[in-house]
Amino acid sequence: MNKIIVQGILIVGSFFATWFVLKNIDWMGIFKIENATKKTEEKLGDLFWEMINKSEHEIKKVDITAPIDSLLRKICTENGIDKSTVKLHVVKSDDVNAFALPNKHLVLYTGLVASAENEAALSGVMGHELAHIELNHVMKKLIKEVGLSVLISMTTGNGAGSEGIQKAASMLSSSAYDRKLEKEADIKAVDYLVKANIDPGPFADFLYTISDKQPDFVKHLTWISTHPDSKDRAAYIIEYSREKDVNAEPVLSPGSWDKLKDALRNYE
Amino acid sequence: MYQPGDHEAEKASNSYLMSLIAVMGGLPFPIINLLATLIFYLGNRNAPFFVRWHCTQALLSQVSLLFMNSIGFWWTVSIIFGSETLNNAYIGYIITAFTFNLIEFVATIYTAVATRKGKHVKWWFYGDITDMICKL
Repeated sequence: MNKIIVQGILIVGSFFATWFVLKNIDWMGIFKIENATKKTEEKLGDLFWEMINKSEHEIKKVDITAPIDSLLRKICTENGIDKSTVKLHVVKSDDVNAFALPNKHLVLYTGLVASAENEAALSGVMGHELAHIELNHVMKKLIKEVGLSVLISMTTGNGAGSEGIQKAASMLSSSAYDRKLEKEADIKAVDYLVKANIDPGPFADFLYTISDKQPDFVKHLTWISTHPDSKDRAAYIIEYSREKDVNAEPVLSPGSWDKLKDALRNYE
Repeated sequence: MYQPGDHEAEKASNSYLMSLIAVMGGLPFPIINLLATLIFYLGNRNAPFFVRWHCTQALLSQVSLLFMNSIGFWWTVSIIFGSETLNNAYIGYIITAFTFNLIEFVATIYTAVATRKGKHVKWWFYGDITDMICKL
């Protein structure tokens, strides 16, 4: 019996000893995994954005993009996120929608900007999408829904054609992540807002108010209709932010928010 | 020295082949190999000692592999679908698990061939436990 115990210990010991030695080798560097992952994500992000850009109109007008960019910059700066790596795209559309694409593309529809009551609400939505980017939810969702091999074939140009790319891009823009990831992004968004001295309350209000809109408005409410249980989300956002000390201060100069809304209304 | 009959040798050899065949169908699900070996073991509980002994040894080796492979499997799932990220510890674990699986694979093939010839192959550690469990 003792012999068996000793042999057992030796087998288990040799397993852990082997693992201990091997885990101290820089496999990630040897196989250049981070590089390969980064390259794949870059290619995918640019492919998807290219596809979306063909059918949508991106607004380049400074009086619209600049204030939105300022809000995003504030969130990024206060949370140690390199703003230069985040590619913000403001798209002309009545749809109340915002989504993230691989390679840190953040797409915001003017319908959503128009629906936001104040800069804090819009900051909340952008914080939420930024959280999906920073927490690597975008690639996880893609791998889960589309499959790793298909994604790789998209980037190499083999196999999945433009229809496949379009489908994947459409999936990213129109369907929510699973509840766990959505909640993670909501909580992270609150953290981002708090650090940026932006009140998370309006973000929760935005979810609450939009979910109560009249049925004929619902067809434009993509961001809400694909993110289930908005009232529940608003509730846990409020609950979570209750514990936080926020020294809320405006990001935009007085009048800038109204100017942004005017510019959107008058944009042709 | 007891010399098993041809029929016994064939059955004993099959107990090891069970885990080999199941590897093909069972990848990447670790439980499939164990289930195949377990079913074969249960089907041979009343078989001659030589057959029972080798079914037991085959089963015991699969049980230990199950723990190691299950950890690898769920770790992989949590990287692909969950919040875990690919890192050196994971790659090191997979290589270690693969190495141990390979050693077991080679040992299983050797033992399958040897038992088919009627030779009694007793594995280090697993053989001693099998001796404790399997009585004449």
